[in-house]
This record gives sequence, structure tokens and C-alpha cells, in this order.
Amino acid sequence: MENLLNHIVRSGAEIVIIDITGVRTVDTLVAQHLIKTVSAARLMGADCIISGIRPQIAQTIVHLGLQLDVTSKATMADAFALALKRTGQVMSRAQIKPT
Amino acid sequence: MEQIPILKVGRCLLVSIQIDMHDKLAMALQDDLTQKLVETRARGVLIDISALDLVDSFIGRMLSNIAAMARVLDTQTVVVGMRPQVAITLVELGLTLPGIRTALDVDRGLALINKLIDEPEGDSGARGAH
Repeated sequence: MENLLNHIVRSGAEIVIIDITGVRTVDTLVAQHLIKTVSAARLMGADCIISGIRPQIAQTIVHLGLQLDVTSKATMADAFALALKRTGQVMSRAQIKPT
Repeated sequence: MEQIPILKVGRCLLVSIQIDMHDKLAMALQDDLTQKLVETRARGVLIDISALDLVDSFIGRMLSNIAAMARVLDTQTVVVGMRPQVAITLVELGLTLPGIRTALDVDRGLALINKLIDEPEGDSGARGAH
């Protein structure tokens, strides 16, 4: 958490994407920490997007009765697209001339 | 007596807290700020806490109170420059400051406040309300 916050200051980031595709299970402690991190990032003026939540984790979160007040996207690509949109940037395919 | 300066910058009031807050000073700041808000008809309040090493529950509540008061007076409040350590402490204390908008530095805070002021009614308060 400290690393993330220090990085926000250093890079001046406005949006934080937390990708948890590699996380197989989430217990209360991990979820709690996730919520804390999101809240702390918000206090520093950065918005969080969580991506890659597995179906199992979604079930756990709901069964544990946790309230994740945060934007979540299915995949990292979706999260990145949203981040680009929020910062007003557009990515487009370059026109390559046939040689 | 010590006093926290309140400066008018464009359409907003800039409050830069440079000294350690104690309870009396916090109460005085609330008084001064609400007074100034009405006097200057400002539309936004920017609170810079980049010099604060420590934000306890009292200061946290004061920030929430100021935001709530400003909202009643039709003004947007943005807190800027919170240090990582302060953010961690606040979250560990369970104070996530709901209803307060935040930005990384004064520059971004001003941009955010101007955006909020220009935004049509109804949309404001949707974000950060949780």
C-alpha cells in the first residue's frame, strides 16, 4: 500500500488500475486490505479501477458481505480503456501505407 | 494569535494549513471560512494539507465538517496534497472521509474545482459520495 501511494505522488497518477487476475482466492483480510488501499488512493486524489476479478472471488466477496465501492472491470483491457477515456486520451490504429 | 490564511484565487478560496492544527485553531478556521465564503461569494474551497505530518480523527472530522458546511453554502470542497503516510493513518483509523473530493496537488485541485463549478447541477456529488 505504501509503495503504491508513494508511486502516486512520484508519478502524479490520476488513475490506479489494480489487476487481480493472478489472485485465486480472496479472504476477509485480503479484501479488507484491498478496500483500505482503494480508500487511501482516493484520499491522495487517485481513482481506482479493479480488474480481473474471478467468478470465485466475486462469490466470496458477496458471501462475505463486503461492500467494494469501486469501479470494477472484467479485464485489464477494459480497465485500461476506461482509464484512457477518463483521462481524455484516444488510442487509434496508425495508417500504414502499403509498400 | 495564530491564524490560518484564507486567500481568494479566482472563484475559490485557498486554505493552506502550514502549522500544526490544534482544536481551537480548527474551530476558528471553520468560523473564518464560512464567514469568508459568504463575504466573497466564492464557489469552491481548496484545502491544502501538504504541510501536515499528522491528521488525527479531530482534524479528519473538521475536514468533513468544513465540506458539509461548504455544501450547504453551495460550494465545492477539494482537499489536496495529502501525504501517503497521512492517507494510510486515516484509512487505518477508519476515516475514509466520505463526501470529500481529493486531488494530488493544488494545480489538479484547482482544475477539478473549476470543472465541478462548471458542471451542471445534479451530476456533482455522484462521485466520491460513497
